[in-house]
Amino acid sequence: MENQLKQTHWMCDKCQEALVLEKVKVRYLEGNFEVELLKCPTCKMVFISDELAMGKMLEVEKGLEDK
Amino acid sequence: MDLDKLLEIGSQCIHLEPPTCVASCPVHMDVIAFVGEIEKGDFSKAYKVLENKIPFARLIGKICDHPCENSCVRKTLGGSIRIDELEKTVIDLGYTPPKKSFPLPKTKGNVAIVGGGLSGCVAAVELDKKGYSVSIYEKTNRLGGSLWEYEGKGLETQAIEEELSMIEKKGITVFYDTEVSEENLHSYKEQYDALYLGTGVWSKDYTINPQSFQVEDSPLFIGGKLQTKNNSIIFSASSGKRAAVSIDRYINKTSMLASREREGIFETKLDFNIKNVTPLRSVEKTSLMYSENEAKEEANRCLKCQCNECIDACVHMQRFNITPDSYIRTINQNERIILGTHHANAMINACTQCGLCKEVCPVDIGMKEIIHMTRESMVERGKMPPSAHDFALKDMQFSHSDYFSLVRKQPSKEASKDLFYYPVIAFSAYARGLYKGSGKTGYLFYPGCQLSSTHTEHIGDIYKHLVGAIKDKDADNDVGLYLGCCGAPADWAGRLDLMPDSIEKIRKTWEEMEEPTFILACSSCAATFEKYLPMIKTISLWEVFEKYGLPETDIKKGKRELCIHDACATRHDNKVHESIRGIVKTLGYSVEELEFSKEKAKCCGYGGLVSYANPEQACDFVSDRKQESEHDVLVYCAMCKDMLVKGNKRAYHILDLIYGTEQDPQKMPTLSERQNNRKHLKQTLLKEIWKEETMRTDTTYDFTLHISDEVVRLMEKRFILVSELEKVIENAQKTKERFLNPQTSEYLTHLRIQNVTYWVKYEEKDSDIFIKDAYTHRMEVVEN
Repeated sequence: MENQLKQTHWMCDKCQEALVLEKVKVRYLEGNFEVELLKCPTCKMVFISDELAMGKMLEVEKGLEDK
Repeated sequence: MDLDKLLEIGSQCIHLEPPTCVASCPVHMDVIAFVGEIEKGDFSKAYKVLENKIPFARLIGKICDHPCENSCVRKTLGGSIRIDELEKTVIDLGYTPPKKSFPLPKTKGNVAIVGGGLSGCVAAVELDKKGYSVSIYEKTNRLGGSLWEYEGKGLETQAIEEELSMIEKKGITVFYDTEVSEENLHSYKEQYDALYLGTGVWSKDYTINPQSFQVEDSPLFIGGKLQTKNNSIIFSASSGKRAAVSIDRYINKTSMLASREREGIFETKLDFNIKNVTPLRSVEKTSLMYSENEAKEEANRCLKCQCNECIDACVHMQRFNITPDSYIRTINQNERIILGTHHANAMINACTQCGLCKEVCPVDIGMKEIIHMTRESMVERGKMPPSAHDFALKDMQFSHSDYFSLVRKQPSKEASKDLFYYPVIAFSAYARGLYKGSGKTGYLFYPGCQLSSTHTEHIGDIYKHLVGAIKDKDADNDVGLYLGCCGAPADWAGRLDLMPDSIEKIRKTWEEMEEPTFILACSSCAATFEKYLPMIKTISLWEVFEKYGLPETDIKKGKRELCIHDACATRHDNKVHESIRGIVKTLGYSVEELEFSKEKAKCCGYGGLVSYANPEQACDFVSDRKQESEHDVLVYCAMCKDMLVKGNKRAYHILDLIYGTEQDPQKMPTLSERQNNRKHLKQTLLKEIWKEETMRTDTTYDFTLHISDEVVRLMEKRFILVSELEKVIENAQKTKERFLNPQTSEYLTHLRIQNVTYWVKYEEKDSDIFIKDAYTHRMEVVEN
């Protein structure tokens, strides 16, 4: 959450909209989750930071790969 | 995968085989644990180790006849470890009286012990522990029998009395002054469930079963001197213990002999390697007994004999602290898990499959084939982590693609006409080679994908040299060229399904070209050919150089000493080892032979795709190799050089020496450069040698990427290619689907390419794109 809030100065370039936190579906292999991520309220493009991708997401990916 | 067969292999591993001292001790006192505690100075724990296997340890430990010492591996290397002296010191410094315990109900049956000597007392205590009601019949007025012979001669009266008094305290009934004879033995047989005879002498000579100590099928069991036929204290104690086991089994009506092969003394399979052991003399005691420090010092002499040959040689086994016995058990569990986490995946993908473990194993167990089978099985069951080998396999696909893949016969005489005039023909062996063109491809030069990436600039020269040198001596056979990937990455990854892509194409080409001999420059190619294409005759480029001569380059003779890091894939290819050494010497260098070379070559960490699946483990391999010698390293595998140089060890590929192209500082191409090099190699060779213009696959976008060294390092670590960045940016330029940070004017955009989402952070200044960050994830985000 903290990381997410720090990123709020990012905006959607196409829609020129500020990003909002919303539940987003993510899936990998046998895993399906709903997580709150920043996204453009108009075009729904989801924002993923380096910290999130190379941190928590990678960890979950590795966990699912070993299931 | 046949897991039962696998477990059978695992059970052959002698890592946990006991040392000879333990195997020759009738009660198997754990000598290694014992001396270990002494070394730590924990004498009471050492006593506990003693007590764990030796009944009446406080007494027997002082008078044991220690057959262990006779079989000690140190015997000829400074003298056997003085276990007898150590036991005495441990008893004096570490003895602690047993804690009072509540006696268990004695409901399992009743047993009579005839003879309250040492073996009888041992049998009584053991049976009492197992829950039997025990009665001892002793003809004299005290227990202990021959133990009393040591009173004042090793044993103190008080210690003997205290220890023997425990027997009655436990609730064992003792009938003193009661002599049992052969004549009235039968009445005891009727009264008790079983009888133990430990009287030392007896009127009848019974035939005793040597394993169970039973007399035929009767309830009579015999131990002590009657059974051992000697005066050994420890054998007598052992017989009492073992007879108690038999009596328990007899009364419980379970098998008398099952799983008892290793009771008593036995032969261990351990043959401890003393090659590196320096002799060290036994510690002399300065008083009646070893002092604490003397005991510690003597304990320190113990070699703690254990077979660690493979784990000592392999940093992979070291990282996971595992030997084949436990490794195989872990694989077995990993293979059988249905629901839950496959904890061993990371380990299985961290083995380089180099085969060194088998080379050093005294019983020939090798993990290479086992790991290979396991990875295949993981792939088959859909349990191979997709990220482990993804990049390497995509890189292999690139090599298979038209960007790199190329097969050409030697340029024909007709096509090379313009070279056949003076002075070219006079001075160029290559031109003469072409002039002798026969049209029959006798040889196909197959440099492999990695050498083509790292030594791109030499491939054409080597090819020309081969044409000139080979045709000069062997006019019938032309030399063709084949760029491609042998499929080693698929083999390492357990991807049998991808092997035909490589193998079938090679086989077909070979058939179409009337079965030429492949000239291989890569040791992994050689291994793959041997495994999957045994019908194809191959020769290493290095042997060809030895046989037909080195390229005529301006060789500045080297004077330095180099250590040779043999490629692990050539482990059994003595011809390659000799050719390399021959070339190195011809070039004027001297050679330092490493301990782990030739058939004992150590892997650089690239093998088995470990540098992709587990970069930290790959680093261990490099560090291990680095510290072996101060000298610069000579390699003949492109990836060995890559790994060593990245690990900050100066390494030269043999081609660097042959062509005099040693760089300083050493730098290896990035993952993107490797692909570009392959692409350019094909274009250059086609143009320069076959005079073919290729379709330029020029970029369709109109921006220029600027990537700092820092971002390049990040991309290397994250296996991101420049070509992928280009696709992501191009997509953002077209769709404007990107985020903007108004404060920094940076953009962030992403694109899913196959199974990976690539994110790129960048700044844009006209057509210049400055990359700030790049990262990926495999998880799919559902955007709607």
